Amino acid sequence: MTDSVKIEKIKTDEKILQIQGLNKWYGDLQVLKGIDLEVKRGEVVVIIGASGSGKSTLLRCVNFLEKSKKGKIYISGKLVKHQEKQLNKVRQELGMVFQHFNLFPHMTVAGNVMEGMVQVKGLPKVEARKKAEKLLQRVGLEDKADVYPAMLSGGQKQRVAIARALAMEPKIMLFDEPTSALDPELVGEVLAVMTKLAQEGMTMLVVTHEMWFAKEVADRVIFMDDGIILEEATPEKMFSAPENERTQAFLKQILPSQQE
Amino acid sequence: MNILPWDLSVIPQKFFLFAEAASYTLQITFFGVLLGLLIGLVVALGRLSKNRALSSLSKAYIFLIRGTPLLVQLFIVYYGLTSIVTIAPIPSAIMALAVHNGAYIAEIFRGSIQSIHYGQMEAARSLGMTHGKAMRRIVLPQAFKRAVPSLGNQLIIALKDSSLASTIAVPELMLKGRQMGSSTFMYMEMFIIVGIWYLLMTSVLTYVIHRVEEKLKVSDRD
Repeated sequence: MTDSVKIEKIKTDEKILQIQGLNKWYGDLQVLKGIDLEVKRGEVVVIIGASGSGKSTLLRCVNFLEKSKKGKIYISGKLVKHQEKQLNKVRQELGMVFQHFNLFPHMTVAGNVMEGMVQVKGLPKVEARKKAEKLLQRVGLEDKADVYPAMLSGGQKQRVAIARALAMEPKIMLFDEPTSALDPELVGEVLAVMTKLAQEGMTMLVVTHEMWFAKEVADRVIFMDDGIILEEATPEKMFSAPENERTQAFLKQILPSQQE
Repeated sequence: MNILPWDLSVIPQKFFLFAEAASYTLQITFFGVLLGLLIGLVVALGRLSKNRALSSLSKAYIFLIRGTPLLVQLFIVYYGLTSIVTIAPIPSAIMALAVHNGAYIAEIFRGSIQSIHYGQMEAARSLGMTHGKAMRRIVLPQAFKRAVPSLGNQLIIALKDSSLASTIAVPELMLKGRQMGSSTFMYMEMFIIVGIWYLLMTSVLTYVIHRVEEKLKVSDRD
């Protein structure tokens, strides 16, 4: 292990992300109805909820891939406006991991990880390559540096995607259902990398259906339903004594074994 | 041998007299398509642009050029423009071929750009790339690769279409065939020679395009 692994999390009050009164419409359909959310430095926040509840849209709004009509988003205390120049800058501070990986198929694994460093941050290629190798080591894929993504399994692809996002040294990592497109046997390796990241103190906002991850790694769990945050609690509370009826119904459905 | 009314033995004898004409055919095709690629890329990006004026302009270009024959376009450049500027036959042919193929190539590029999954653009933007850079680094290289088979097709069409340049006195294959035919009265023999030259050139192009496609496959799974 080349990097020092901080087991003790540094918790501060520094707010990395603040969302205030976020609303989002697709045509006449309102998918987000006034979202307020804060994520502090080092915090791991997991968003759960049924599909169509708006959780992915929320994440995409945070990365400004979707334009929200109403509401404010602050990154590190700075209000972000929908201006191209500012967005390009802000997006460097937000690492995004997509459900379908979206690796660049015409570049090698190392090329994928280097792309942002070289093209956006302007790092010399040699230096970027060294950093890419270190990052690939962190996700356990140092031997795949010169292979094209088409040769990788889904789990490996997602780990490369995580390394690619980390290469920008983001302040917060956003995960949009990172394991939903994976074969069941490949989910574990991705969650392991994410768990390690969390332990190292990375600030994370994760949309997932992996309740194990929410329970074991999250500091806070958010239940979204029909475009609003219906319930917000520690994982212990969320999974043992959810307050809202709809949260109970959702968890019952997704965790049938919890009945015993 | 004399069952046929033609003297086919002339074909190998006269075959290489057409070499220079064939080189003109190749040249106007090459430069015409090269410029056409440039026009095609610009028009495709214009067509996909959010800028309404740019997009309408590109659409109008494609509408006009695709909807009219190459021969008409050739005559407009060579004869029609004479009241403003006189353009020599070869540059006229190159221009007309470029403008004509540009419209088709624009549609090829538009299709291949649109076929790249939007997730690629999103991933690039999420790294902080500008739209232009994401286009250049991520979308266009993949789109080009997808466009190669159709571009190859267009190149072969352009090569054959270049025969229309014979009508404005470009000394290319077709004109050479007509001249040789009328001076020897061996039309069949001469046009067979012309046909063989075209076939030779399209065969070589087909092979080259195939090799390019193979080479571009490196990043795909076999």
